[in-house]
Formats: sequence, structure tokens, C-alpha cells
Amino acid sequence: MSLTYVLNRLLSVILTLFLITLVTFGVTNILPGDVAMMIMGTQSNPEAMAGLRASLGLDDPLIVQYGRWVGGMLTGDWGNSLIFRQPIAVLLGEKIAASAIIVVMSMTIALSLAVPLGVWAAVHRDKWQDTTSSSAALLGVSLPDFFWGIVMILVFARWLGWFPSSGFVDPAEDFMGALRHAFLPSLALGLGLMAHLTRMTRSTMTGILEQEFIRVARAKGLAERVVVWRYGLANAIGPVITIAGLQVGYLFGSIIVMESLFNYTGMGWLTYQALLNRDMPLIQATVFVIAAVVMLTNLLVDLLYLAIDPRIRLD
Amino acid sequence: MNALVSVDHLRVEFPTDGGTVVAVQDVSFAIEPGETLCVVGESGSGKSVTSLSVMRLVEFGGGTIASGSLSFTRTDGTQLDVAKASPQVMRRLRGNEIGMIFQEPMTALNPVFTIERQLTDGLILHKGLTREAARARALELLQSVRIPEPERRLRQYPHELSGGMRQRVVIAMAMACEPRLLIADEPTTALDVTIQAEILALINRLKREKGMAVLFITHDMAVVAQMADRVVVMNAGKIVETGTVADIFEKPQEDYTKSLLAAVPKLGEMAGKAVPEKMRLIGDADARAVEAAKTPVARKPEVLLDVRNLTTRFPVKGGILRRTVANVHAVEDVSFTINVGETLALVGESGCGKSSCGRSILRLIEPESGEVWLGGRDIGALNAFDLRRARADMQMVFQDPFASLNPYRRLKDQVAEPLTNFGIAKGPALKARVLDLFDRVQLPRAFLNRFPHELSGGQRQRVAIARALAVNPKLIVADEAVSALDVSVQAQVLNLMMDLQTDLGLSYLFISHDMAVVERVSHYVGVMYLGRIVEIGPRAAIFGNPQHAYTQALLSAVPVADPRQRKFRDDVRFKPITSPIFPTGHAAEPSVYFEVAPSHLVLQN
Repeated sequence: MSLTYVLNRLLSVILTLFLITLVTFGVTNILPGDVAMMIMGTQSNPEAMAGLRASLGLDDPLIVQYGRWVGGMLTGDWGNSLIFRQPIAVLLGEKIAASAIIVVMSMTIALSLAVPLGVWAAVHRDKWQDTTSSSAALLGVSLPDFFWGIVMILVFARWLGWFPSSGFVDPAEDFMGALRHAFLPSLALGLGLMAHLTRMTRSTMTGILEQEFIRVARAKGLAERVVVWRYGLANAIGPVITIAGLQVGYLFGSIIVMESLFNYTGMGWLTYQALLNRDMPLIQATVFVIAAVVMLTNLLVDLLYLAIDPRIRLD
Repeated sequence: MNALVSVDHLRVEFPTDGGTVVAVQDVSFAIEPGETLCVVGESGSGKSVTSLSVMRLVEFGGGTIASGSLSFTRTDGTQLDVAKASPQVMRRLRGNEIGMIFQEPMTALNPVFTIERQLTDGLILHKGLTREAARARALELLQSVRIPEPERRLRQYPHELSGGMRQRVVIAMAMACEPRLLIADEPTTALDVTIQAEILALINRLKREKGMAVLFITHDMAVVAQMADRVVVMNAGKIVETGTVADIFEKPQEDYTKSLLAAVPKLGEMAGKAVPEKMRLIGDADARAVEAAKTPVARKPEVLLDVRNLTTRFPVKGGILRRTVANVHAVEDVSFTINVGETLALVGESGCGKSSCGRSILRLIEPESGEVWLGGRDIGALNAFDLRRARADMQMVFQDPFASLNPYRRLKDQVAEPLTNFGIAKGPALKARVLDLFDRVQLPRAFLNRFPHELSGGQRQRVAIARALAVNPKLIVADEAVSALDVSVQAQVLNLMMDLQTDLGLSYLFISHDMAVVERVSHYVGVMYLGRIVEIGPRAAIFGNPQHAYTQALLSAVPVADPRQRKFRDDVRFKPITSPIFPTGHAAEPSVYFEVAPSHLVLQN
């Protein structure tokens, strides 16, 4: 049964990825100006331009160009970036690794703050603890990420001097250094993420704590700690992780600003550069990669849910 | 010798924004070792709060034991006042010396843990068993509550078990540490009648084998009659009367107890009576009802509703392409008629298709095939416009009036709505009609401007009935219309429905799981099982001379509100109900009936 489910999900991921290739390819081709013009500039010789177009295959019908692009993506030949003059595959590989540190770190920070805070609020529902937690969450939601970024730079880099305020260090060379450089942007992002997750944890947990099986667990003489953190949380964590998975998409939007703010050369920074310089092949590839990562994360979350909640395994 | 539990002047309060609510006051009773004490009362009587107080679980619901003592004799013979014990001591008591089972087996088990984990954690905690020893004991427990394939169950999750099996697991869990007191809070209320019979028998057997005392909380007088040694009757947070089960049922002293007993339909009491009979209500509020308890007029039979070979199926989707892989045969080749001014009851257990049948008749769900004739008109052949018109002739009353009424609209507007929808009345005529409807269902006119949450359950159901009556229907489909109501309220609403039938010549399709109520109100009865009517006939024939094995089983499982007719002493086992799901393309056989007596039909297997 669960195998059908996994296959089902995989199939829908592949289908969606196919749609994404269509959309990214379509949109970048609708935009005025093509790659040849970007390489040679608007003032160039039309004959040379035509020659370049022919050599790049831009004269071929769109369907052929699309086929070539998708074929290249599948075989690992992602073409060259126009501005960095490097193979896109190599470039993306580096930058994804850099951003992965931030994504994982910010999500870890968000979850490890949000879950206890949300549970705490649910346990003390409608008391001061709940109000405090809700207000904190509201504050986190209402302020934009870059505001937190600036606060982080001021407090931890400027005044306290605990963490560097900008730059990226390759984890292969200096792992701790890499973490230190990723920490402030991750913290700033994590605070924004935390707010949603806290509210989600609180509302799910509030519902769970009213369930009969919680009363049954208490009637068995289990300690309140076990009742809440094992019996309760085991049921509440699924929806929370689902929201966290969806937030990964939102996170890739946020890192564009955050990485630029911290001058951290990851995917966000790369996307920003690609957009700024109209590097079409790079834009296509980054959009595709970000979409793929978000989709795979959600697939992973669904599979995780499968492991957590036995009821889903049924159908 | 000390009583096992001795509750003395218990008072439980719930602090709320609007001030302190006293849920229970001046409640005193004792439970002797090995006896079953039933606490019976209607909703809001404080019976559940009382039982939760014994375990001191009230505090998790925001309540506090304000005064009084709850003395419990521990296994080592010492006395402990539960009201004052520390949380640590209470935790050692809970699940160890006192076990508890609750109402909802579907939600009483943690959905994400295996049965084994939930059965063993109490044993590991209280008895210090190793995981292996606890597992062996869990297996033993599952065997003692007679669950088939216990080894497999241990590895399963709650959703893989049926409701009856889950309640057995909950009981096994409560019994794990061999408590000396088992508190059962409405343990069978959510269960089908055959499963209820099995669970009641199980509790009786375990009590006998283990010498355990049982504190049994219920609203159901019939269950009390079957289970109790002694009875405490509660009302509005106070004890009304205490006595042995024989005294309470045969020599009740208090008016409240008497009225409660009078409101309970007793299976078998309609034997030899030709037509439905109203409940005898006692108490000044219902003096009018007693006076009006006259036999409804007999009419010349004239068919109003004619259902022929009705079949309704629900697709089951599956596979990657979400195709229909199977069908739930919810209603399968069902035929019956209802006469003008008469009631046909459809009875059966959950999932038997009785509700789907009612909804198919109104085309709230589209039947697969079959014909429905109402007053000479083929409902199935109507287009959307005509169907809407035709629905004025057939109205529905649902189980939960709180869910079926709009919380944001005033009652008068809700009752007026069908009138405006069908363009029956407007302006002063509309107003007059709404007033008339309120009078008819005996709702005070002061309620006209109220909202549903300001009413009690019984009053809300009256509003729902008024709304159904607004368009002068010929047929009312009442789907478990009184099941959610307290017995005394249930009796009033049933009487109202019978009065309306007498006065207006209404026909009812009365869908219910409650055999005793059905016996009271219906002219004809159809018993449903797996989507089919297995037996149908005049009420007296079905109850007096049941022919189909399922009808017989169902009747034998109904608890009778008479302590002299005890049924569930030894193990009771009914055939589990199989699934009505068949693969697509499955050709269902037609329902073929054998006529036992005139209009008494039994399905041939």
C-alpha cells in the first residue's frame, strides 16, 4: 500500500518538474532579447549576431531548442553562465552546498525554538504563557526578514563581535568557519520561520491535548511530561513538519535578500546576480533547481509523515 | 471493613470568566469491594465530573475539588484521601490501583503508537516489568479480553482495529495492573448494540474473575438495569436518590427517578398493542402530555411512499490514477412502502445503510437505480427544478440539531427560510405562520429572536422539526432525530412527533439504531444489514416473531430496562459485520423475500 503511495508521489513530482521546465523555458523565451543579444550587446553588428544565433542554435524552432535544453539538463550539460563564464552545473553545485548550510541551519533554529514554545503555549492555553508566545510569534511574523538581518549584524557582529557580519567560507576548507559565517543569516531567517511554526505547533497541540487518548494516558498514571511530550507531540509533529516543508519554498525567496545582505555567496546571491545581469541560461537553471529542491523537500516531508503517522500507510 | 471508595460531601468547581460554576455538590456515596455502582444521570448531572474526581483527573479539565473527601483504600490497606494526595501519589494510583475506560474507543487510543506500546507503558511504569515481560503480560491481557489473533494486534495501530476491538484494548489497558476499582465512563455509548452487549458481558466477567469493583457511569437506564448492584441517580450536580438496583427500578422514591424511568422505552412493553403509543411523562411540566396520551386514530391504509429496488453505491478510489476500484454497496435492492399517517422505522447498526437509504429517497445522494414514488410521482425522474419543488413534500430532520441549524441566524428566520424559499408566505402571513409553527412544536414565542446556542438540545430539535414542518410536508425522514437527546427530552420530542402525526397525518421514515424507541413509535419496521432490508413487517411481527437471524441477534443484544431481565452475565459473541465493499463489476444478487405472514417479509440468503 505504502509503495503505491510513494510511487504516486514520485510520479507527481516528475510530472510537476516537467511542467516547471515548460514554464521556465517559456517565460525566458517570451522576455524580449535573447542570449545572443546579451552576449554581444544591443549595438553589435547584425551579421555577427546572426552568426552567433545560428551557432547557438537560436534559429531552430522553439520545440527543438526546448528539447536540446531538457536533454542537456538530463545529461549534466547545463551550458555556461554568461556572466561567470563557467559551466552552470559546477557553479550551481558550489552555491547549493553553501545555501544548504543556511537552509538547514535556519530550519533547525526555527524548529528547535518553535516546537517547545508552541507546546508550552498549548499546555498553558489562555494563560500568560500563551499570550507571551503568541505575541512573540506575531512580532516575528510582522517584521520582514531583512530587519532581523540588520539587527543581527548590529548586535552580534558590530557590538558583541561574536560572529562575522559578512562573507562565505568553504566548509571543505574550514567547517567551523563556514558555520560561523552562516549563523547570523540563518538566525535572522529562523526567527521569521519560527513565528509560523510556533503558531502551528500551538494550534495543533491544543487540539491534540483535548483528545481522549491524552486523558487515557493520564488515567494510566503517566507523568505529565510523558503525556505532553510523547503522547501529544508524536501526534502534533506531523502537521508542523508539513508546514516546515512548505516553508522551504518561502525560504528560497528569503535567502535572495539575506545572502545579499550578508554578502554570502550562495544560491540566493547567485540568483540575484543572474537576474541582475539577465544571464538567461543561469536564470533558467536556478529557477529549475530551486523548484526541484522545494519539491523534493516536500516529497521528503510526505515520506517522513508516512513514517510518523501509521494511518497514512493504509491508503 | 472499610469501603473501597468513600466519597464524602464532594464539591467540584470550575472557575470561568463568568464566575465559579459548581459542577458537583454535596455528593456522597461508597463503593464496596467487588460491587458495581452505577451513577446515572442526564447531561449536566455531574456524573462524569464525579468519576473524574475519583481519579482526580478533573484538574486537567480546569476543575478543582473545592471541598469534601474521597477516601480510597489502597492495596496495602491504608486509607488515602484522593482530594489531598500529592500529584506523585496520584500518578501511582492511576492506572495501577484504579483503572479507567472512556466513552470513545475511536479516540481513546493514541493513533501513532502501536497497541503493544500503549498496553505495556503502564506495566513498565507501575510494575517495573522489562519490555519482554510487559509484552508477555500484554498478550495475556488481550487474550483475557478475547481479542482474536492477539500477537498480530500487538504490532498493529489503533486504526487497524474495529471500534469494538478498540474498546476491548482500552479495557485491557485499564486492567493491565489489576486495579481494584475500574471506572467506566459511558463505555458503550458510542458502540453498536451488539458490541455493547459484548463489552458489558466482558466487564461483568472481568469483575467476577478479578473481584474488582466497578464505578459505572451512564445515561442509559437499560444499561443500569443490566449492570448495577447499587445505583446513584444524579441530577444537576446533586444526588437525587441512592439504592439497590431493585429498589431504584421497582420502588423509586423521588419524582425525578420516576420520571426518568417513565421516559425510558422498555423493549417488549408494546407487545399486544396495535398502534404506537406515546410516552407517559411524569412531572408537572408534562401534565399536558399525560392528558394528551391518547391513541392515534387508525386510518384506512393509503400508500404515500413507494420505494422499489433502491440501490445506492459509493465508489472507492484507488491506484495511481485514482480510478474506481470498488464500490460500497450502501443500499442494495431495498423496497418498502409507507402509508399516509404511518411510521416505518429502519433499524440497524452503524454502516448498515439506513441513513444512505433515507438520503437516497430525498435524492440528497443520487441513487444508482431503483424508483421512489411519492404520492404517485416518480422522484427519481424529476429534473433539478421539479425536484426542488417536490422536496417541499419530503423534509428531513437530522441527528444533531446544533449542526443542522445556522449558528448566526435567529430562530424565526431559520424557520421562515423554507417558507420564503418555496414562496409560500411573505409579510404578515409569514410572521403568522412562523408563530403558528413555534406553537405547534411547543416552543415559547420568546424564543423567536434567539440564536441556536441559547437553546437546549431538545429545544433545538424542536426548531429543526418546526423548520421541516414549515412547508407542510407529507413525509418526514427523521435520521436518528432523537438519538443525541437525553431520555426525558427524547420522550418529549417523540411525543411531539407522534402528536404531529395524529394531527397532520404525517408519515415518518424513522431511522434509528434504538430498538426500544423504534418499538414504541413505529407501525412498520425494516431491519437493515449490509445495505439490504433483511426483514420487514408490522412492528408487532418484527418484535414478537423475528425470523431472520440478524433480527434475532439484534433483539437479543438490546439491554432491557429491567433488572430482573439480565442478559449479559456470560460471554456474549455476535458475528462480526462483514464489509459491504465489492469490486467493480460485482453483480449483486436481487433481494428475494419469503413471506412469513401477510406483509411480514424475510430475506432469503
